[in-house]
Amino acid sequence: MAKISFDLVSPENLIFNDEVGMIIVPGKDGDLGILPGHSKVMSSLRPGRVMVYGEDKNLLKSFFVSGGFAEINPEKCIVLAESVEELSSLEKSLVEKEIQQLESQNEIKANEQLLIAKAKLDAINFTFYNKI
Amino acid sequence: MPSLKDIKTQINSVGSTKKITSAMKMVAASKLRRSQEKAEAARPYSSRLEEMLSSLASSAASGEGIIKLLTGTGNDQNYIVVPVSADRGLCGGFNSSINRETFKLVKSLEGNGKKVQLMPVGKKSRDFFNRVMKDQIIDSFVDLNVSSTGYESALNISNKLQELYFDEKFDKCILVFNKFKSAISQEVTQQQLIPLDVSSSEKEEEKENSSNAIYDYEPDEETILKDLLPKNVSIQVFKVLLESDAGEQGARMAAMDNATRNAGEMIDSLTLKYNRTRQAFITKELIEIISGAESI
Repeated sequence: MAKISFDLVSPENLIFNDEVGMIIVPGKDGDLGILPGHSKVMSSLRPGRVMVYGEDKNLLKSFFVSGGFAEINPEKCIVLAESVEELSSLEKSLVEKEIQQLESQNEIKANEQLLIAKAKLDAINFTFYNKI
Repeated sequence: MPSLKDIKTQINSVGSTKKITSAMKMVAASKLRRSQEKAEAARPYSSRLEEMLSSLASSAASGEGIIKLLTGTGNDQNYIVVPVSADRGLCGGFNSSINRETFKLVKSLEGNGKKVQLMPVGKKSRDFFNRVMKDQIIDSFVDLNVSSTGYESALNISNKLQELYFDEKFDKCILVFNKFKSAISQEVTQQQLIPLDVSSSEKEEEKENSSNAIYDYEPDEETILKDLLPKNVSIQVFKVLLESDAGEQGARMAAMDNATRNAGEMIDSLTLKYNRTRQAFITKELIEIISGAESI
């Protein structure tokens, strides 16, 4: 089966760079599943999960991104994200605490962070896409 | 004529200074490597972002809202200058060249009848401009420590700038910083941050346009551009901070290397002086003894 090269880049470093079988990215208008040979697309991303699968559709890695951009062409998929965390490294209780804190602040700036934190919690809770 | 003891103390104190400067050189060298790695790591992100932006820039027709980051306010009257210096000294001409260049820039802009405000980054430039142009400073950022706090620190600066920009406090923003050329040389550079200067990458843009023409955009070009522009400001600030950090370490390394060498030379000449004085002292004592013996 064909492979597609996938880069996950944050401002601080290159987090992932390898040939994979499939990627799911959280596009602004809905999740995009990207297989090798995908048409050329440029999309902005909402906060959510980036899932990376191997050739036989086994889940290799899953990340949480706080938003960003994806550039897709038939051979390559590049995701630019401002903050990236590996899903397995996130603690549910910590995120819940963060949400509580942000909710009590009630500022415009905190609002944005709150949306991200809530999306983070969703990302931890949701299990779909784990097996396809 | 200084006594032997005086010279000895002097040699010792120069020796301990030398120890300090050579230790600082070592520290700067290892920090330099780290900040170079950081700057290297940030490159893929910023170059990708720039590519995306240049392929989208053509679609920005209207000058409303966030797009103003690209197209400008249409005015050319109010400037904000952001000198990026280090927080600490002992790095040669690193900070003073930034301050001098910024001062010159501000004066020449004011000479053309523009209004200029300052937003110094780093203690050294803040302190300098606090002395000479206190009332023009609207904000300052110190103790950024970009190599450990990372992207967060750049975000603070860029958020503040954008806030001011959309409040129509200024029309153009210029960064003055030390561009990292090599471990021993930095170049003071001016970069226009807002509105975005796309002319410099125009050539690439043409090349990009041909290959990007068939991209699908999701949701649409304008929405992406609106997301992209603020991020681009932040990443440019981040890039500049990293460059300046690497430059600072490089400058400190060079300065400390010089200081160490100078201290070494000083010790040599002091040791020579010490030996001569000792010799002269011995000779004098001998003469005294001999002439004493002769007179008996």
